[in-house]
Amino acid sequence: MLLLDIEKELQFLEEKLTYIKDIFAHKQNENILLLESKLKDFKNSYKNINLAEAKRKLNSLKDLFTFLENKLDRQLTPMDKVRIVRHPQRICLKDILENVYDNYTEIGGQDEYSIDPSMLIARAYITRKVGKKIYNQPVMVIGQEKGHGEEFRNGGSVKPWGNAKALQYMKVAERENIPIHTYVFTPGAYPIEDYPGAAQQIARNLYEMAGLKVPIIAVFSEGGSGGAEAIALADMRLMLSHGYYSVISPEGAAAIEGRIRGKEKASPELIEQCASQLKMTADDNLVMGYIDRIIKEPPLGARPEHFDFFKQLRNEVIKATDEVVLRVRGISLFRYLVLRKLKNPEIYVRWALGAKAKERLLENRYRKFRKMSQHAYIDGRNNLTKIKDKSEELFWAGYSLLHYDILRRHKQVVSQLTEDIKGEIHVLLNRAKTSYHKFMCRFSWFHKRKANVCQLLSLSDWDGHKQETTPYLSPQAKVDKTITCPNASKEGCLDLWAPDLFGEMAGVCSYCGHHFPMEHEWYLYNVFDAHSLREFNQDIEATNPLDFANFSHKLETAKKKTGQKSACLTFEGKIKGIEVVVAVLTAKFRGGTVGAAEGEKFIRAVEKARLKHRPFIAYVHGTAGIRIQEGTNGVIQMPRCTLAIRNYLEAGGLYIVVYDTNSYAGPVASFLGCSPYQFAIRSSNIGFAGPGVIKETTGLEIPPDYHKAYHALSRGHIQGIWDRRQMRANLYQALLTMGGRYLYYH
Amino acid sequence: MKTSNIKELLDKIKENPYKTIVVKTPHCGTIEFVVGEGEEVKGPRGKYKEQPGTLLAYLTRENNQKPLYAQERGIISKIYPFQKGDFVEANTPILEIKHYLTKEEVLELILKETLYLFRAPEKGKYYFVPEIDKRIKAKGCQKVKLHPGEEVLILSRMKRETFLPYEGPEGIIYHLYFKPGQSLNAEDILFGVCPPEDLESIKEVVLKVKSEWEEK
Amino acid sequence: MKKHKILVANRGEIALRIMQACLNLGHDFVAVYTEEDKESLHCRFAQEKGGEKSLFKISSYQDANEILAVADYSQATAIHPGYGFFAEDYRFARRVVTRSKPLIFIGPNWKIIKELGDKIQTKRLARKLDVPTVPGSDRPIYDELEAEELARDLFIFQKEQGIEHPVILIKASAGGGGMGIEEVGDMDRFRSVLRRLRNYAQRQFGNDGVLIEQRVFDFNHLEVQIVADRHGQVVHFGTRNCTIQSTGRQKRIEVAPGFYPKTINYAFDAQKVLQDIVKYSLRIAREVKYDNVGTWEWIVSPTGQPFLMEVNTRIQVENGVSAIISRVKGQEVNLIEEQIRLGLGEKLNYSQKDISFQGVGIEYRIIAESPEENFTPWVGTITRFSYPNYPWLQVFSHVPQDKPYEIPTDFDPNLALAIVWGKDLEEAKRHGLKFLEEVVLEGENKKGEKLKSNLNFLKAKTSEILVF
Repeated sequence: MLLLDIEKELQFLEEKLTYIKDIFAHKQNENILLLESKLKDFKNSYKNINLAEAKRKLNSLKDLFTFLENKLDRQLTPMDKVRIVRHPQRICLKDILENVYDNYTEIGGQDEYSIDPSMLIARAYITRKVGKKIYNQPVMVIGQEKGHGEEFRNGGSVKPWGNAKALQYMKVAERENIPIHTYVFTPGAYPIEDYPGAAQQIARNLYEMAGLKVPIIAVFSEGGSGGAEAIALADMRLMLSHGYYSVISPEGAAAIEGRIRGKEKASPELIEQCASQLKMTADDNLVMGYIDRIIKEPPLGARPEHFDFFKQLRNEVIKATDEVVLRVRGISLFRYLVLRKLKNPEIYVRWALGAKAKERLLENRYRKFRKMSQHAYIDGRNNLTKIKDKSEELFWAGYSLLHYDILRRHKQVVSQLTEDIKGEIHVLLNRAKTSYHKFMCRFSWFHKRKANVCQLLSLSDWDGHKQETTPYLSPQAKVDKTITCPNASKEGCLDLWAPDLFGEMAGVCSYCGHHFPMEHEWYLYNVFDAHSLREFNQDIEATNPLDFANFSHKLETAKKKTGQKSACLTFEGKIKGIEVVVAVLTAKFRGGTVGAAEGEKFIRAVEKARLKHRPFIAYVHGTAGIRIQEGTNGVIQMPRCTLAIRNYLEAGGLYIVVYDTNSYAGPVASFLGCSPYQFAIRSSNIGFAGPGVIKETTGLEIPPDYHKAYHALSRGHIQGIWDRRQMRANLYQALLTMGGRYLYYH
Repeated sequence: MKTSNIKELLDKIKENPYKTIVVKTPHCGTIEFVVGEGEEVKGPRGKYKEQPGTLLAYLTRENNQKPLYAQERGIISKIYPFQKGDFVEANTPILEIKHYLTKEEVLELILKETLYLFRAPEKGKYYFVPEIDKRIKAKGCQKVKLHPGEEVLILSRMKRETFLPYEGPEGIIYHLYFKPGQSLNAEDILFGVCPPEDLESIKEVVLKVKSEWEEK
Repeated sequence: MKKHKILVANRGEIALRIMQACLNLGHDFVAVYTEEDKESLHCRFAQEKGGEKSLFKISSYQDANEILAVADYSQATAIHPGYGFFAEDYRFARRVVTRSKPLIFIGPNWKIIKELGDKIQTKRLARKLDVPTVPGSDRPIYDELEAEELARDLFIFQKEQGIEHPVILIKASAGGGGMGIEEVGDMDRFRSVLRRLRNYAQRQFGNDGVLIEQRVFDFNHLEVQIVADRHGQVVHFGTRNCTIQSTGRQKRIEVAPGFYPKTINYAFDAQKVLQDIVKYSLRIAREVKYDNVGTWEWIVSPTGQPFLMEVNTRIQVENGVSAIISRVKGQEVNLIEEQIRLGLGEKLNYSQKDISFQGVGIEYRIIAESPEENFTPWVGTITRFSYPNYPWLQVFSHVPQDKPYEIPTDFDPNLALAIVWGKDLEEAKRHGLKFLEEVVLEGENKKGEKLKSNLNFLKAKTSEILVF
């Protein structure tokens, strides 16, 4: 060994030490101090001792490093793991493409020359030798590319068009019938509103992935909330042992928890605390059931030089793909047997799927997510109610089958026939009537006797002024005070008297049309037929699944204040006689945030709409996003609910979303944003991230009207803006003009 | 206009570079001051002027406590003698702000001396005709060239509207001195027009002011 | 009698008349004004006759918050809205009486203002009571086929009435102020016009219901003056004819009574028409339990058919012309005083048989405008204004006679009202012309041009009074 080699090794150890220090940040640790001093000793001494001695000492130093790295690995806190994942030395997708796949071609990108360098697409193949035969198994590899600190990669924060590109190639994979491997390396999506906006595009991705007819394997390294979900709705979700998967960054959570505003920073302790409370590690997520397996990384996290790790990753993704494929292929008994193949990786499994297998794949995917997060809410229904609900479900299943599937076909034929006949008769009658008229018109007494003339002069029958909905008095209308319109300086609006404004004027400024927020009850009373609303699943209750500090108390306060058990209310009701199922996200319950209970209620409502063949309306009275205190229990509602919506829409349902006040983040970026018919009440805001978050993550100062409904309309996110007072009429109109395939059959 | 004259004018402004802004009540109500005499106040801030200026006072009417914000920066030079809770009528002066002139304001003053000023012939509300209004909104007023006799404004008074032709030299609208829809008196300045041949010298004036005037 | 303090929520001559009425009745008053109105005589009157703290500057006459803030501060007990502004705003009336510090609203109960303010409701109410209304629909029509059938019937109906060129109007039921009205002269164009209007109405008013009515041509505009107390007593103070108007349908001359069959020949029984419209108006007033002053507006076709147009639930500009021909138990009457008295809850204390009528009254509205140029308002400063003094003449004006007065541009351009009386139509007209000759009105605008007024127009139109 040459001195040069020793110096090289020394440099390597120094880099290792720097890395270790980076990971443990500022924290005092005796192991690190030990490494530091030993390394320093060696550095000071090796030139003075002979080469053999130096070599021996170096080897023992290396052993010490290995030993202490293992020891340190066991001491890693969740926040340390966050630092590992964010470290420039962390493996990136390019490393994986080089080392896991046998060959690949990057698609549509050469470093910074790409529509979005933070999203990387590659066609790759895995070569498998079975006996003498060699198989190249093609896959579509999609993932965020953080690189090793290059600026243009934007840290893996993908812009909407990057996610659009991902979706485009997922569809290509579907056409080519090859599996998709996605690699999640993102701190979160780039939160801008564009053509499309961040939420709009993520929602599209989720909706399409819910129905993608090829196996999807996702591997999480850094799973930052909505940005992660954009490519992570998968049949098998693997996670690297040192990765994190979370609803929000620990810093973000700390800022919210510590009520930090503007330029202040949360304390490192609070951030550490939030990181561990959010239960974002691989182990946590495995326990909660949001990932299927953990791929063990080398101590202190995988870096590009860990070739054994790549081999292991390769085996895991092959095994995962095989497993997904085998579960859906062939008859079930046989399937069980072939699953045993998995134990032997030498056996070749073809990854292309047949038609039946594709159906099963989607069924399995739906069921997989449907079963998730059941532990994260309280089902307060007593046994009797459960039996009642179940039997009602069974009844409707049978009824719908008979009514819609069997009878419908016959009746359609019959009614078409009768309509044809009616048409013929009408033509004949009309001819006769016209000639009769022409004849009779010669006699003036004929007119005078006609009742119609009477209608020109005397009172006609009219039931138009009859009240169709229940009167509602807003508590805001009971205060004798005036309110200033926010547009007053621009539009010259005079102050409005609260009893008028929140009474007859329905919260609408009579000068400029600005919509002041009304309680969600206003809509329940003014949109649906009088006495038609029946709430269901009111006993499904939000809880604190992560035992997040101080949150149980806050939740109790919200429950007491609102009388609700979650932010989601679900109803059956009628609009001018048309029966509908409605889900309402209410802003006054924890800002309308969505957690496991809300997601579950939403899904059950969608399932009810599907079962009963009813239109489904989501009225979003306001949502601040996913409830961060529930961690991934909340995030997972994005794919879960989107899957339910897709199932319903593919079955011919009609899904209308109406946004009000402020709607942001996860829900908009998934199960709300995927609706083909989204409308907004005037003066509402729709988007992905609020101005503060945008400023912090992108440095952009956005104009105050950035998220206004009119902009969302121009960006194509929503399909129309409604005056609150017209909501009932507009919904009715929508129900008439947009009926789904299996709706309105009587 | 000669450069020397401009220098003279500028020097004159420099001698007394302040403007006193009298803040009046927008409507009736009971008053409560928040600032005191001698305090410094700021106008609206932020890239989009989305943050309001310094809170000056509250004016409460019909149980609605409305904040009055400073529209310009400056020093509170006078507070009128009202006690907390006093009822004040609409349009009553309540305080004065001594405001150091900004570059734009100095420019506006000097441009008044250099441009051809088109004034309101009568009392009423003035709007641009839709076509010109569109052009101003899209490209700014300096892209609008006017010819004498061209109908440029709509005068609205007593619920009736009449078209108003432009009279003066041909040129571009260099500066607007009114907000469309504002109620104006006869002789108030509507806008300043710069004939094409004067454009260069006016640009010089602008440059001169921009380089010489230091904002405080 | 309890002494009240009445806030006069109006300006100009009506504010003056209300303040005077308050003084006559022994009540206090508070007046308001805006910056541009500070030279108006109503401000001077308030300061001179109302004592300290009787005049307040507000930002706008249209801002209810200003009015109520002043009312509370000045400890007013009632609000008189005058005409225009808040006179027929049921929300304002409701707020005045339901706020935590309630005041008396001098006008009808807000529920009545609301009901009669809805033209469809009023038309249906009239039909329910067999009161004639303009032929056509009395509810919004949404169905195209139904609309077409109605239109066709309406054409046939008019033909039968002997109308050679029948025309129908399609009106957006949610529209108002002349917006959303289209004319159709033949059935072929009906459908396309209907569709266009419905689209417009949907966009503009959020409701595409339409009303379809006959268009009545060459009608006379008549009014019935109703006065009622809050205890169920209803009387009338006769009829008025307001047919002489500007091209923009603004009244210029009002006459009481509504027709004059003594010396003028009508193609129909004019006396009966007057009796009928009075009878019908009273019928509706009793039905809705009307409880203050109000005016029932009628149009009378050239063949003498009356149709109820609308009810104005307020005191009108022209109330004085009815008062000048009326006597209660032989005494003169002031309808504004009556309005205040009854609005504050007093009983009427007389019945219809105590009311008698004498002679003819004519009211001229003197305005700086140019009738030759489509009644374009003239803007400038009035330098001289004076009028003679006669026992048969009343003049109401807020324009000072002792100094120049710049006409504010934000309001209706009325300068003065002159009411003349004569024992018969001929004498009234003679007095009218005499007044118009003697009134002096001079002024100049910024350009040095002379004031333009409608005095000549009024003179010329005097000969046409009550001719039909």
